[in-house]
Amino acid sequence: MQAITITLDGREVSGYPGMTILELAKESGINIPTLCHDPQLASVGACRVCLVEDERNGALLASCVAPIASGMVINTHSPRVMERRKTVIELMLASHPDSCLVCDKGNRCQLRQIAADLGIGLVKLQRLPQMVSIEEVNPFLERDLSKCILCAKCIRACQELVVEGAIDYFQRGFTTIPATLNNKPLESSECTFCGTCVGLCPTGALTEKEKTYRGTTQTVTQTICPFCGCGCSICLEVKDGRVLRATPGKESSVYKGTLCVRGSYGCDFIHSPDRLLKPLVKSNGNSEELPWQEALELAGTQFRRIKDEYGADSLAVLGSSKCTNEENYLLQRFARSVFGTNNIDNGSRLYNSASRVGLGSSLSFSGTTNYLTDLEQAELILVIGADPNASAPAISYAIKRAVKQHGVKLLLIEPRQTKLSSFAHLWLRPRVGTDMALINGLAKVIVDEGLLDEEFVTRRTDNFEAFAESLKKYTPEYVEKATGVPGQEIREAARLYAKANQAAIVYGTGVTQHITGTDGVKALANLALLTGNIGRRGGGIYALQRENNAQGACDMGALPKFLPGYQSVADAQARGKFEERWRVSLPAEAGLTAMEMMEQAKKGKIKGMYIVGENPVLSFPNPRFIKEILASLDFLVVQDMFLTETARLANVVLPAASFAEKEGTFTNFEGRVQRVQKAIAPLGESLPDWEIILRLADKMGSPMPYSSPQEVMDEVIGCCQLPAYTFYEGGGHPESEAKSLYEAESGSHRGVGRIHGGQFSEGFARFCPVEYAPPAKGKKGYPFTLLAGTILSHFGAGSRSSRSTRLRKFSSEAFVEICESDARELAIADGEMVKVSSPAGEVTAKVKITNALREGMLFMPISFPEAPVNELFDIVLDSETKAPSLKACSVKVDKIPIH
Amino acid sequence: MDKEGIPGEADPARINALVSEHSQQKWALISLLQKIQGEFGYIPPQSIPLIARSLGLFPSQVQGVISFYTQLYTQPRGRNVVRVCRGTACHVRGGKTILKLVKQRLGIEEGETSPDFEYTLETVACIGVCALAPNIVVSDHVHGHMNPKKVEQLFRNREDKE
Repeated sequence: MQAITITLDGREVSGYPGMTILELAKESGINIPTLCHDPQLASVGACRVCLVEDERNGALLASCVAPIASGMVINTHSPRVMERRKTVIELMLASHPDSCLVCDKGNRCQLRQIAADLGIGLVKLQRLPQMVSIEEVNPFLERDLSKCILCAKCIRACQELVVEGAIDYFQRGFTTIPATLNNKPLESSECTFCGTCVGLCPTGALTEKEKTYRGTTQTVTQTICPFCGCGCSICLEVKDGRVLRATPGKESSVYKGTLCVRGSYGCDFIHSPDRLLKPLVKSNGNSEELPWQEALELAGTQFRRIKDEYGADSLAVLGSSKCTNEENYLLQRFARSVFGTNNIDNGSRLYNSASRVGLGSSLSFSGTTNYLTDLEQAELILVIGADPNASAPAISYAIKRAVKQHGVKLLLIEPRQTKLSSFAHLWLRPRVGTDMALINGLAKVIVDEGLLDEEFVTRRTDNFEAFAESLKKYTPEYVEKATGVPGQEIREAARLYAKANQAAIVYGTGVTQHITGTDGVKALANLALLTGNIGRRGGGIYALQRENNAQGACDMGALPKFLPGYQSVADAQARGKFEERWRVSLPAEAGLTAMEMMEQAKKGKIKGMYIVGENPVLSFPNPRFIKEILASLDFLVVQDMFLTETARLANVVLPAASFAEKEGTFTNFEGRVQRVQKAIAPLGESLPDWEIILRLADKMGSPMPYSSPQEVMDEVIGCCQLPAYTFYEGGGHPESEAKSLYEAESGSHRGVGRIHGGQFSEGFARFCPVEYAPPAKGKKGYPFTLLAGTILSHFGAGSRSSRSTRLRKFSSEAFVEICESDARELAIADGEMVKVSSPAGEVTAKVKITNALREGMLFMPISFPEAPVNELFDIVLDSETKAPSLKACSVKVDKIPIH
Repeated sequence: MDKEGIPGEADPARINALVSEHSQQKWALISLLQKIQGEFGYIPPQSIPLIARSLGLFPSQVQGVISFYTQLYTQPRGRNVVRVCRGTACHVRGGKTILKLVKQRLGIEEGETSPDFEYTLETVACIGVCALAPNIVVSDHVHGHMNPKKVEQLFRNREDKE
């Protein structure tokens, strides 16, 4: 590539073709003010603030859109430029209210900054106020369009980054405003309140609402969002030890400065009045506050007593897929070396174990195979059993961008209508629980029509013959009968998938949380192997994770069968490595999984439990049973931020600090290890989980010698091999972290996707034939199939999101969705209360009539503690992973008579 | 447009048929909008999501384009569009009075459509025949040298009806 040299403010500088003057100036350290420009958005040259002068012909160019041309003599601050720039700003100010003193944007306002830089005082132009009323019905953001300068950053963010398209210019000339369809308020539009536009707005036209604290930001800390598995980078703005607001992280190339409503507005749970600030101890049925020393002493003594009396295996630890890697590493070391048991599991068992085991047996690596940046380079994306719009918003942004901007075809397999449906090239709607028949059906068509990647199958996989044999019965006709998807569509989908040069698969809990979840994942892996879409850029399998550190908790060995880095506990050599380091002998027998712990506790074999950052009473099936068991334990310690339903049962509750109050790392669903930074000091007497674990180990008489999370991570890097992961380096300086990420993405792995580029770690990938078993017929009298899932404005079991005032206000009560014809038949009107019951239990919720469901289907969100959907699920476990089925069950609906 | 009846609900099947001719052709937006307006006299707001979906645009984008062009309407229009010129020459020769008379006569304000969909009243900056000022245009026919009497004559049927 020929470099282009231009003269910039009297200096000769060179850039590459296609670069704009603004980019080159930035690179050369020359600051040109801008209002409508953002590196993540396509430049439009609307605001004219970035004008520069070409000395050769006197032309004034908008530098954000003017490409460099050889021989240019550009002046960025000549008197003429400054005069014009000043006029441009004065014209904007002429129609801008003088309310800076009371404007929430305050010193963050770019318009005001630039005006100050240019020395603009009172504007002498005739004022042209824009008379627009302030919109503030929703609890998230306030629109004051009288301050709008029409830079269209919000519009472009909505269309280009988030691909929601809720707003665009409306009208023209002086009356132009950014508006929704029919100029309705935001809450009745497509807007998802992701907050991306608020983060970009240069003036006070868009500001966030209902902050917990008002004031001017003192410090900004970049960290990682604590909600879903996407791991978006987030900036916490802090004053006086309180988080003022959360804005999208600017540096993240992966997520392009986007967040979702949870990240932008849900972090106010940090300062919830419900936060536990002191250790609590239950005595005579009452909770009493106790100093740390005494609480820990009590916990330590009791755990030691149980260990001495009943043996190490009568103790169990449940770790958290929400805690950091370091904390999970410490916790598994605590379980193994202090308790001396392998009875350790983490909350991701409920939704992630199917992926781990399924992908593990096929590809010998249990996780997403490619980077998210790859996804937009696919030719086709197959989304199955996932509503990323609610469960992993950043992934849905990427999918929508791929479809809209890169012409990628979307093949959607999903019984419910979701926001992705309208983006789909082909949308298959199988009956609930029949995905596996459909996937096998696709594979059958691919094999029969010779669309498979023979070279890949022969050279890199084994067990193909058995697999092909197992597909025999899955003819389109058979599959049509099983799934309800027309045979022609099955053929079409198979051809679409197989003929794409790079086809990616994205799946979520719709696959993993079924009773046959593991088999479902294997079937998907088979499909990808069949077409050679593993180890290929733009291909691969993306396993969505529900929680921020599900991948990390497993990587760190918070699992009953594995030491850190998936080294089997049965492997004496692996064990030896840790034994030597920790100077203890480690148990060789695999421990209990989360659900098995409950079963054994019922039998009286588990006496004491240590639960960190999990709320099994709400998140496990059959909550009443779980509650009973936990209440009957000899001794229960719960470590949490809030007095959750589980913590209420505990003998000792230890107050944990939130993500904003600690250091460490989270591993997102791609396997990207990202740094979590402390923004504020722990609230009250609460402590970061890692510190509590260390203190408890001390009290138990087996201290663990670490003084910081960094030391823990150094040990992790030293003793486990995690494929192609990127750990932070250089003492955690964000720049060096970004650099190492960049190298990992663009360096040795370029062109082949992240992993599996060369050989599989076990030599060959393996086809694992799976048989479809029709979903168990619902019991008589339970005619509906209920789907349980995530909704965008809440999260998980709701421990945090229900304590976020804004999220709570926006969507305050549980609902059950039903299709119109079913509602008519049951004579239920929208908004009426109904009782949803299954053989296992019942919940009440408000009816929401929708056209997203087919007849006989219901949908309920999982995140409302007052209507715990899990009441409806009986405990049915996947035979391989021992994970409970929590996706679908048979229920009936009854109207609640009005008394 | 149906010359007789009052424009009612636009037939969704017909809108779909028009829209489907331009599936995934973003560039065809304006000509499609003109086609729809040609058929129904206006662009029914409920057709905006259909148009957007078919062309691969966002509904807000389609609305943005419609609201930008004065030639595109989202409200049903009268069978006769009356445009009163408010150009300089017409203004000097009493265009303002003419506008007032037309308003009185039709019983509607500028930008409005009569309830029977007979007339829509607009003003126009200049129609280029200043020699005939003051001018008004009714259904694309220019009427020059307007005066109160001519206004009365032009909308005679109006009085009969009322």
